[in-house]
Amino acid sequence: MQKSLLFITLLLVVALIAACGGQQASTQPTTAPAATTVPSQPAEADCPKPEVLCVGLVTDVGEVDDKSFNQSAWEGVKRAERELGAIVNYVETKDAKDYAANIGLFIEKGYDVIVTVGFALGEATIEAAKAHPEVKFIGVDQFQAEVVPNVAGLIFAEDKAGFLAGVLAAEMSKSNKIAAVLGTNLVPPVVAFKEGFENGAKYVKPDIQVISTYHPGGLDTAFTDPKWGADQAKLAIDQGADVIFGAGGKTGNGALIETAANKGVYCIGVDTDQWETLPEARPCLISSAMKLITPGVFDLITKAKEGNFPAGNYVGEVGLAPFHDFDAQIPAEVKAKIAEIDKGLRDGSISTGYKP
Amino acid sequence: MRITGSIARPAAARIPWLTIGVWGALAILVLIAYMRAPQATTAVLTSTIRQSTPIILGALAGIMCERSGVINIGIEGMMLISAFLGFLFNVWTGDLFLATLGALLVGAAVGAFHALMSITLKVDQIIAGTVINILAIGTTGYFYQQGLTTRGKLTPVSIPFLADIPIIGPVFFSNPPITYASLILIVVVHVLLFRTAWGLRTRAVGEHPAAADTVGIAVNRVRYINVIIGGMLAGLAGAFLTLESVGSFERNMTNGRGFVSLAVMIFGKWTPFGAWGGSLLFGFANALQSQIQFLKNQLPSWLAWIGDLPPQFIGMLPYVLTIAVLAGFVGRARPPAAIGKVYEKE
Amino acid sequence: MERAGSQFSPRMDSRIQIWGMVHAAIVPIASVVVALVVGAAIIALSGANPLVAYSALFEGGLGSGRAFSRTLEKATPLIFGGLAVSLAFKCGLFNIGAQGQLLMGAVSAAFIGFSLQGLPSALHIPLALLVGALLGAVWAAIAGTLKAFTGAHEVITTIMLNFVAFNLTDWLADGPWKDRTPGNIVARTPAVAPEARLPDIVGVPLGIILAVLAAIAVWWLIWRTTIGFELRTVGQNASAAKYAGISVRRMTVLAMVASGFLAGLGGAVETLGVVGRFQPGFNVGLGFNAITIALLARTNPIAVIPASLLIGVMQAGASRMQFNSGVASEIIDVILALILFFVAADGIIRRVLRLRAEEGERVTLSSGRGS
Repeated sequence: MQKSLLFITLLLVVALIAACGGQQASTQPTTAPAATTVPSQPAEADCPKPEVLCVGLVTDVGEVDDKSFNQSAWEGVKRAERELGAIVNYVETKDAKDYAANIGLFIEKGYDVIVTVGFALGEATIEAAKAHPEVKFIGVDQFQAEVVPNVAGLIFAEDKAGFLAGVLAAEMSKSNKIAAVLGTNLVPPVVAFKEGFENGAKYVKPDIQVISTYHPGGLDTAFTDPKWGADQAKLAIDQGADVIFGAGGKTGNGALIETAANKGVYCIGVDTDQWETLPEARPCLISSAMKLITPGVFDLITKAKEGNFPAGNYVGEVGLAPFHDFDAQIPAEVKAKIAEIDKGLRDGSISTGYKP
Repeated sequence: MRITGSIARPAAARIPWLTIGVWGALAILVLIAYMRAPQATTAVLTSTIRQSTPIILGALAGIMCERSGVINIGIEGMMLISAFLGFLFNVWTGDLFLATLGALLVGAAVGAFHALMSITLKVDQIIAGTVINILAIGTTGYFYQQGLTTRGKLTPVSIPFLADIPIIGPVFFSNPPITYASLILIVVVHVLLFRTAWGLRTRAVGEHPAAADTVGIAVNRVRYINVIIGGMLAGLAGAFLTLESVGSFERNMTNGRGFVSLAVMIFGKWTPFGAWGGSLLFGFANALQSQIQFLKNQLPSWLAWIGDLPPQFIGMLPYVLTIAVLAGFVGRARPPAAIGKVYEKE
Repeated sequence: MERAGSQFSPRMDSRIQIWGMVHAAIVPIASVVVALVVGAAIIALSGANPLVAYSALFEGGLGSGRAFSRTLEKATPLIFGGLAVSLAFKCGLFNIGAQGQLLMGAVSAAFIGFSLQGLPSALHIPLALLVGALLGAVWAAIAGTLKAFTGAHEVITTIMLNFVAFNLTDWLADGPWKDRTPGNIVARTPAVAPEARLPDIVGVPLGIILAVLAAIAVWWLIWRTTIGFELRTVGQNASAAKYAGISVRRMTVLAMVASGFLAGLGGAVETLGVVGRFQPGFNVGLGFNAITIALLARTNPIAVIPASLLIGVMQAGASRMQFNSGVASEIIDVILALILFFVAADGIIRRVLRLRAEEGERVTLSSGRGS
């Protein structure tokens, strides 16, 4: 008797947890993965037909809604769904050894374009591309050492975006001390952002003090530790830093949200225009050091559709995001200086000083 | 009550010279640093408190459970579920106080689940904790979705006058609510365990349940209540993560802090103040790690190698230290005697 | 009385073996079914169709030859991990550190694999496997020795050693052993020499063959050798074992070493058979799954194989489930936790199925702590 009572209690606990989630799913149906992908199911069978454009996306280990590079790439694919009428779907990678199998899910269904996100998928992408020359592959953050005719590696000069962010930060700093809170040094784009940021700040203010810190954990935690990011942002603010650059997925987001809680301190986001992806940071977010994955992916999908797919490396756009509400607070001469340096970086007259 | 003598054992009776030495040396170092760079030193100490808060709360949760004889390796999962639901409560109600209360209740519920498994259903306690950990990762990951935002997080409240004292003021008297709560709870748990009848019963149940039973203590009832209180403490640690420290939830955001809490609990030999010392050391090591990186370019040349250490090594430090403590290099740690055993009346 | 002393049951030995095996399988199977049902309820509550999700899940794990070979690939490290945990269980030890031991085995096998070039396969493969297994054994031996000589509980030390292993292997893969070939930017070791890659034996990957052989070897060790008898005796009642003249310390260290050896071997097999190099991010969460498997198999080494295959099917099919039905693959973690819960809290299942509780069948470990 007693035990069956316990069993019921237990089921209630499970049901309670489930109900909480259920209720939550119903409040925001648009973001639930099930809701967005199911409508495309019926037409997926038409993918082998040449006139139907099907675009698949394989994430790196992580989720498609990570507010970071997986999500940016997925936004590009979704734009292709809206503007090119493509049929789209994604697979989230849970274990690094599933890359090839996950790419295989799309090949099997006759998808035309497959986007793989992250350098780690580079090898699996090349192998799949060589075995399936009829499928076009877009490898985000995948540098192509040799040209495979049906692979385009979408790469970015993160150091340039970091450089511009450094210029902005140095110009906006009153205390002459700025800080960067970073994901791990195990991932080169993060290092590029950091070096660019430091050198950019020193380019306009040689005597500025730039303090920066990398997450001490491994790859499994370095980008998913907002608590650590928040702690380090506070540590930097407490010793006088008044512009914080948060670069490192959710870890960086933690730093940005923390900065927003401190008055008189600015913050700069990373990867996308975080004004849109991280509303919590708006009180401090003057700009973001962007690598424009979304338009890059969309451009490459468009080119694949039109038949002028560029094999090899395709360098995507980088730059500063709009200043949004802070537009009025940023002096015109600072804006002019940023534009001038941006031009210098583009024509090569200014070097970021970052060597990979 | 003849058992009193034996159950008092885990509390340190000798003067801990080593501990006093270590803390004394640290205090002197801090003072020297403060004279050279007051702002940075205060910042590091503030960060130490901040980074130790979820750890000490988790450790207090562990102490409550284990002192009554129930192993709890599910602190990590308890923190994660409470952090998640606390965050959702904040999204739904927009009230940080209600959300914190909600996280506490969730912690209590998960604690009750742990007690149900380990006491009534007689599941092996380590497996019960493992169930909670896996369930927490799975459910929070499954039900979490992006795009939920909240209005702010708990912000620091300065205590008048006290906050103006140099070093101590900004470090101890200018904190957000849960941090204050954690500092008070250290004392509360200490008093509860070592100065009240309830604490005596708890320790009796954890050390010698059969004897406790013969003097009329309801062993399993005491255990249930302690594990639920432990769950609430872990829930508060979860609330700290989403409602005070970060202001938002991410999948698996506890990142092993629950396990560090366990480590710290052992480091402190199952006492609240000992655990606090351990969590302060952990917080200090983390703050220092960043500070060293911050000052990388300003370090004197004979210290430059510290700045060049891979961050991964500093990340290992608390775990290596715990193993060293357990190995007896830093004094022997002895858990409550009846820990892990289901109590059944003959 | 406390449970620790009441482990000996004369019924255990006199029970007819076949009936015993069938009987022993009822609770695990029922647990899996109940967990799947609860999982289905959660899927339905979140607004998706559980039937679509589950059919995609099993199609992805069993639906084709390639799907099945992926299931085998997933099951291989799980078998090694499950064996490692089961073997330690038999000696009353809870090895929660299979994850770290596997990582150490994987990274060291990768080192032997890429640093030596031109060795014949017949030499290179066994050497790399052995070194991997030994590193896993050393990693577990730290916990075993501490337990034996200082009483430090192995659950805590192995958890801590897991974190150390994560950081250490990340650093190795990004520092001294990093792949320096031009074009590589991420943390990973160079690819192992082709001679060190595990071949297929008549179409079956060598890895799964080794896993099955390991299961048989562990069964033999536990039930057919003196050491196995001593291990079990210590596991059932350490003080009785001491009276019988068995060195509890020796057995504790030995059990952990053997356990770590298996986990390390699993890591080496992963590196040489599946991945071809060491790269952080592989097999995360294996340690917990290994515990689920060991309990599902009731610590029987042979039963570890079907239990691993079951979880392998789920892992192999998770991507297809998410692809076809949009159900996030985290649901697999939920189902695994539920399986673990129902297997461990077998009273619930027994109650529902009206089975009698069998004294001595249940795994009881944590009682060893602090003694």
